[in-house]
Amino acid sequence: MRKNKFLHSLPLKLWLLLAAILVLTFFSNDFGLVDIQKTAIILAAGIDRTEEGFELTAQIAVPKGSDRTTGGTSSMEIGGQGATVSDCVSQIYAKTGWVPKFVFCDLILLGEDAARAGAFDALDFFLRNEYAPDSCLLAVCEGRAADILGAKSAVDDASSLALEKLFSDAAKKSGRVMTTTLREFAIGYYGVSASGSMPYVRMQPQQGAQGAQGGAGAQNGGQGSGQNEQEMIFSAEQTAIFTEGKMAGILDEAETLAFSLLGGNVYGGTLPAEGATLSVLRNDGSVTVSAEDGISAALNISLKVRLVNRSTPAAPSDVAKGAVTAEERAAAEKALEEAMRSLWTRCAETGCDLFFLYRELYRRSRADYGKWKDTPLSAFAVEISVSVEGLR
Amino acid sequence: MKLSARQICFFLAAVAPAGKLVLMPSVLAARAGNDLLFPVLAQIAVQAALVFAVLLLARDGRTVYAMIADMAGGLIARTACIVFAAFLLFASFVPLVEQKLLVQSLFYDTLPSYVAFAPFFLFSAFLCAKPLAALGRVWDVLALLFLTGFAGILLLSVGSADYGALAPVGNAGAERFGRGLAETTGWFYDAALLLPLAGKFEYKKGLAWKGALCSLLGGALILFFLATYYGIFQEIAVTQLFAFAHMSKYFSGITALGRIDYLFIFAIAFVMTFCAAMPVQAAADALTDAFGRTKPLAVSLSVLFNAALFAVMLVFNFAPSETIAAVTRRLFWIFPLFTAGAPLLLWTAVGIGRLIGRKTHAKK
Repeated sequence: MRKNKFLHSLPLKLWLLLAAILVLTFFSNDFGLVDIQKTAIILAAGIDRTEEGFELTAQIAVPKGSDRTTGGTSSMEIGGQGATVSDCVSQIYAKTGWVPKFVFCDLILLGEDAARAGAFDALDFFLRNEYAPDSCLLAVCEGRAADILGAKSAVDDASSLALEKLFSDAAKKSGRVMTTTLREFAIGYYGVSASGSMPYVRMQPQQGAQGAQGGAGAQNGGQGSGQNEQEMIFSAEQTAIFTEGKMAGILDEAETLAFSLLGGNVYGGTLPAEGATLSVLRNDGSVTVSAEDGISAALNISLKVRLVNRSTPAAPSDVAKGAVTAEERAAAEKALEEAMRSLWTRCAETGCDLFFLYRELYRRSRADYGKWKDTPLSAFAVEISVSVEGLR
Repeated sequence: MKLSARQICFFLAAVAPAGKLVLMPSVLAARAGNDLLFPVLAQIAVQAALVFAVLLLARDGRTVYAMIADMAGGLIARTACIVFAAFLLFASFVPLVEQKLLVQSLFYDTLPSYVAFAPFFLFSAFLCAKPLAALGRVWDVLALLFLTGFAGILLLSVGSADYGALAPVGNAGAERFGRGLAETTGWFYDAALLLPLAGKFEYKKGLAWKGALCSLLGGALILFFLATYYGIFQEIAVTQLFAFAHMSKYFSGITALGRIDYLFIFAIAFVMTFCAAMPVQAAADALTDAFGRTKPLAVSLSVLFNAALFAVMLVFNFAPSETIAAVTRRLFWIFPLFTAGAPLLLWTAVGIGRLIGRKTHAKK
C-alpha cells in the first residue's frame, strides 16, 4: 500500500525536481559567469560631441597578472562614434566583438562641449538602459572626455579609478567637491527647477614625473599611450552648473565650498581664516524660499569650528585647545559671506536654480508657484547669514 | 486538506501584496504622478470590502460551484466556472509578463535568450496540478519571506527617500486619479482569487473581518512602499520598472558592503514567482471543482493552461508593453466585472436562495 502510494506520487515528485532544477537555472544568471573573452566590463564612459553626433569612449577593465608586482586593474579605452549614444555602443561592439557591459560603470564623464550642448542628450541612454546603474557618478571635464579617460593617472591604474577617488564620501565631507549621481541629476533635470550640478574635472601633468619611471599607471593602454607618456593628476574642486540640462557656468573653489556648506554636507573639512586653518566640527546649512512678502530667498550657514593650524609658530597649547579668535571667526564669516553672495549671483545670472527653490515653492503651494514661476532668480530678494562659532 | 484561517490572513496581508510591486508603481506614477497613493487607497478600500463579502459568503463551507449548482443546476454552475476560469487566465497575463521581464532585467546583466523564461511554466504546471488548499503551508513560509524581504528593502531605502516629493496633494486632478484607478484594476483582484478557495478553508467566527483587516494591512504595506518609491525616484519614477529591486541600492553602506540587499530582493522575487502562478492555479482549481476533482483532470488542465500561456508569451515576447497596455488600459473593465461582480452576484443569488428556502420551509 505504502509502496503504491510512493509510486503513485513519483511522477509529480520527478516533475517537481525537474522544475526546481530548471527554475534554479532560470534565476541563476548563468551562475554569474562572465566570459571575459566576449565581454567588455566598462568602468567608465566618456561622452563628447562630434559633428555627426556623439563619441563614446568606454574605459574597459583588463585583468593584469596576479603576482604582487603586476596585480590590479589595468584598463584600455575603446571609442565609438554615431548619431546617438546607442549607435556608439553598437560601433564598439562591431569594432571589438566585445559585448559592452555597463553594469559596473560607476562614472560617466561628459566633455565640455557635450555638457554645454545638453547633458541629457547623452545621459538619456544611460537613464533608460536597464543594465546601466543610475547610481553612477557624473562629472564634466575641461576639454574632451576621451582625453581624460585616455590619460595616464599618477595615482591609479585607470584614470576613472583615480577620478572616483576624488568623488569619495570623504572628499564630499571635506566640502571640496559636490558629487552627483545620474538619478539625482535626472530628478533635478525633469523637475520644475530643471537645474543641477556636476563636479568639473581638470587635468594637469604631475610635476617632475614621467610614466616610464614607476607610477601606478604603467600598463594603462588605449589611445595614444606610450612608454614616456606624462602622468596626470586630476582635480574636481570646481562645480559645473546646469540650466535645463545645459552647462551654464562653473563655480570656483570658494563657491563650491559655500554650496557644500549650504547643503550641510561638511564634516572635518577646513576653512582658511586670516593665516589660520579652521576645521568644521558641525555644519548646518539651509536655503529657503518665502513668498509671503514678495519673493525672497534666505541662505544660511551655521558652523562650529576649531583651530587646526596657523601659518606662524604658535605655542603648543594654542593649537591644542583649538580655540578660535574673534578675528579669525570674523575673517571666516566674511570669506563665506562673499562666497555665498558670489554663488547666488552666479546662479541668478545663469538661471540655475541650484537650491531647487522653485521646487520648494511648488511643493508648498501651487498658487504661489503659479504666481512666481516666471520670476527670474535675479529678481528674488536674498538674505545671507553666516555664523561661525569657535571652540572656547 | 483544508486551509486554516491563519493561512488566509497570511495570504492577504503578506503574499498578495508582493504581486503589486513590479510594474504597478511605474504605471501609477505615469498616470497619477505624485498623487499615486490615492488611486491605490481607493483600490485597497474596495478590495477589503470585497474580501469581507467573499469570506462571509464562504462561511457555509460550500465551493462556488456547489453554491451555483444548488441554486441553478450543474450546467449553469459549470458554465459560470468556465467563464470565471477564463477571467483568471486573462488576469494571469500581467503577472506572467511582469515575472518574465523582472527576471530578465534583474538577474541577468545582459539580455538573455527569450526562451529562458520557459522553466517558469514547468514550475507553474507543478503548482497547478496541486489543489489550491495545498498552498496553505507554502503561504506560511512565503509570508515570512515577504515580510523579511520587504522590511529589509524599506529599511535600506527610507533614508534615500524625500517624502516631500509627494506634495502638492491633489496635483493630479480627478481625470488622472480616474485613469490611475482604472489602470491599476489589473493588479487588484485578490477577492476574485479567494473565490476558488471557498469551501477549502475552515471558516472561524470573525474570519471575514479579520480577512478584511489583513487585506487593509497588506494595502498599508503597498502604500508605504509606493510613498518611499516616489520619494526616491520623484520625477523619474515612471522610468523605474522594477523599483523594488533598485530602491535599496542608494543606501550608503551598499558601497562598502556590496549589494547585500539582493538577499531581500531574492526573497521577494521568490514570493512573486508564486504570485505569478496563482491566477493560473486558481483557474485550474475552479474547473477541477466543476468537472469532478480527479488527478488526471487536474494534471491535464495544468498542462493545457501552462502550454497555452507559454505559447502566448512567446507570441507576445517582443511586445510586453503592448500586452500590459492592452490588459490594463483597454480591457481594464473586465477586472471589476469579475472581482466585484462575481461576489455581488453570488451574494444576491445565495440571498435569494435562502429567502426561497425560508418561504418553502414556512409553507411546509
